[in-house]
Amino acid sequence: MKTKYADLTHIMSPKSVAIIGASDNPDKIGHVIMQNYIDEGYEGKIYPVNLNSTGQILGHKAYKRVRDIKEPIDLAVIAIPAEAVPAVIDECGKAKVKGAVVVSGGFAEVGNAKLEEKLAETANKYSMPVIGPNCLGVMDPRTRIDTLFLPTYKIDKPKIGGVSFASQSGAVGSSVLDMINNEGFGLARFISYGNAAVVDEVDILNYLSDDNDTRVVVFYIEGVKRGREFIEVAKKATMKKPVVIIKGGVTEAGATAAHSHTAALAGSHEAYEAVFRQYGFTTAKDIRDLLNFAKIFETQPLTTGNRVAIITNGGGTGVLATDALYQHELRLAELSKDTEKRLRKEMPQIVNIRLPLDLVGDADDKRYSDALSALEVDPNVDAFMVIALFQTPGADSRVASTLIQYGTQMKKPLVVVSMGGSYTKAHKSMMESAGVPVYDSPGDAAASLSALINYSRYRKGM
Amino acid sequence: MELLDYSRANGLLTRYGIKSVKSEYVKSAKEALTFSKGSPIVLKALTDKALHKTKSGLIILNLATEKEISDAFSALSKRAEKFRPYRILAQKMASNGIEIIIGGKTDQQFGKMILIGLGGIYVETFKDVAMRTCPITKHDAESMLHQLKSSKVIAPDQKTESMVADLILKTSRLFYDSRLTELDLNPIILHDGTYDAVDLRLIQ
Repeated sequence: MKTKYADLTHIMSPKSVAIIGASDNPDKIGHVIMQNYIDEGYEGKIYPVNLNSTGQILGHKAYKRVRDIKEPIDLAVIAIPAEAVPAVIDECGKAKVKGAVVVSGGFAEVGNAKLEEKLAETANKYSMPVIGPNCLGVMDPRTRIDTLFLPTYKIDKPKIGGVSFASQSGAVGSSVLDMINNEGFGLARFISYGNAAVVDEVDILNYLSDDNDTRVVVFYIEGVKRGREFIEVAKKATMKKPVVIIKGGVTEAGATAAHSHTAALAGSHEAYEAVFRQYGFTTAKDIRDLLNFAKIFETQPLTTGNRVAIITNGGGTGVLATDALYQHELRLAELSKDTEKRLRKEMPQIVNIRLPLDLVGDADDKRYSDALSALEVDPNVDAFMVIALFQTPGADSRVASTLIQYGTQMKKPLVVVSMGGSYTKAHKSMMESAGVPVYDSPGDAAASLSALINYSRYRKGM
Repeated sequence: MELLDYSRANGLLTRYGIKSVKSEYVKSAKEALTFSKGSPIVLKALTDKALHKTKSGLIILNLATEKEISDAFSALSKRAEKFRPYRILAQKMASNGIEIIIGGKTDQQFGKMILIGLGGIYVETFKDVAMRTCPITKHDAESMLHQLKSSKVIAPDQKTESMVADLILKTSRLFYDSRLTELDLNPIILHDGTYDAVDLRLIQ
């Protein structure tokens, strides 16, 4: 058992990279990886390594072996057939490479556990952190490293931001990565760690919890290798920043053979759920939750109060939103007398002064702004769900910029619900890129507010 | 895997301040009658081989008269035959009340865990349970209780709530400190502002 946690700094922020298996042949994974490094504008040194090298690969001087480089190497990206990997790790160790990513598959996932053990033993001999095997590796938009062997034209690369995403599965990893950009939030680090032969989820959670660029951690796991260490690191991590987690493989067979009722009731999935709850994780039940929660955590302030003010320009949507609040253990706020008086003065007669506050179909930016500025200071209101239906005559880009102003400057969390087609989508992306979370339905918005409040309460020891 | 003998289990519980209903092993109907001293009792056949005593007919409740006790003793001995070895335990009949389960198990990944839920025959029907890893804090114990759908059924008032939370804490301490790998207190009957652990299954 490892006693301390692996340091991933050199893997995530390397000054120099050796790409082992780099090639001029576009069909090779090593080619795609190297091309991506060049395309992304990575500023460190790149050393292509290939046993059959002929002078240059993609315009860089090529080396037959790592030991021929004779310069300090922070990171080795390894994309060669599985059988050759342990020996190459050994060479890297001898050359004092500080960390490696093994993207190659063909290890424990296809029953080749022996080879994976050999890889791990070799890496541990040199105390070298190794991510993988059988993974996509890492991406960091700040340091512009990208070991993903996915052609750039096929995937929307996220902008720089505060959400870090770690995934055991490369498939979940790459599809979520592709969606992140469309959800309007930015990425801090991406780590696809595959079989976790050396660096496991505990190391990664520990690294991300200490990482200053990471404001929110999002995790896809299928299991944990070191349960007690996971708990230790989780305690620290969730007190620093929100950790949204989704666990694959929730169904379980075999609970019937238990010796006690407790064992029958408390399967492995229940144990994970209990740990997530006890140590302040935010559990997502599907990928949609995962993205929804990440979005609110990245930009909105924490609050322990669950009294939500709904402001809408459509009556029916306000009713649906109210239902959604109560389905997620939230409450509709009640206006204070002062706010009531102030709103009565400022709102046209047609607007009923109560929550949900229906600004009616002709609401423009001025009406939204008046409502928000009155409610912002109401002590009875903890959070906002603002519904902006852009199909109405009064709703346009000015409404969106009003919501941006309040959604980015208020001390209380605000989420927007906008449902609709291309005109709506344009405004949605305008608001999201400015840092206001926008949801397609009141249900998603309520679930996200609820996640934020539950986490805030955990942080406060409530 | 070894099921702790009733008197050892009972002793362990007492050391951690957990009350269980008064019980004694009996070898004959006569001993059972002496134990009852005129108040109603329960006879249970204890064996490693059956998890569901109710389903296997290994519990006979509410025995008051000499005839009831001796008939039950013979019937139980006969039914228990196929689960040999077994012993027969006489227990004072517990009062009626809300039945809960408090349990412990050792998870492969996270180690010892403590669980509470609505108990008795409903345990596996409703699966209304809350779980935490050991050791737990008072706050954890309370939040476990609040997490249950049946939270208000189990603890309708503040007094019961603190009693049950305290019981979860005590049980988790016992489980965490001991060499036990699994534990079932099921049911624990909550009645008249107090409780009785009626059935104990401690495994080490």
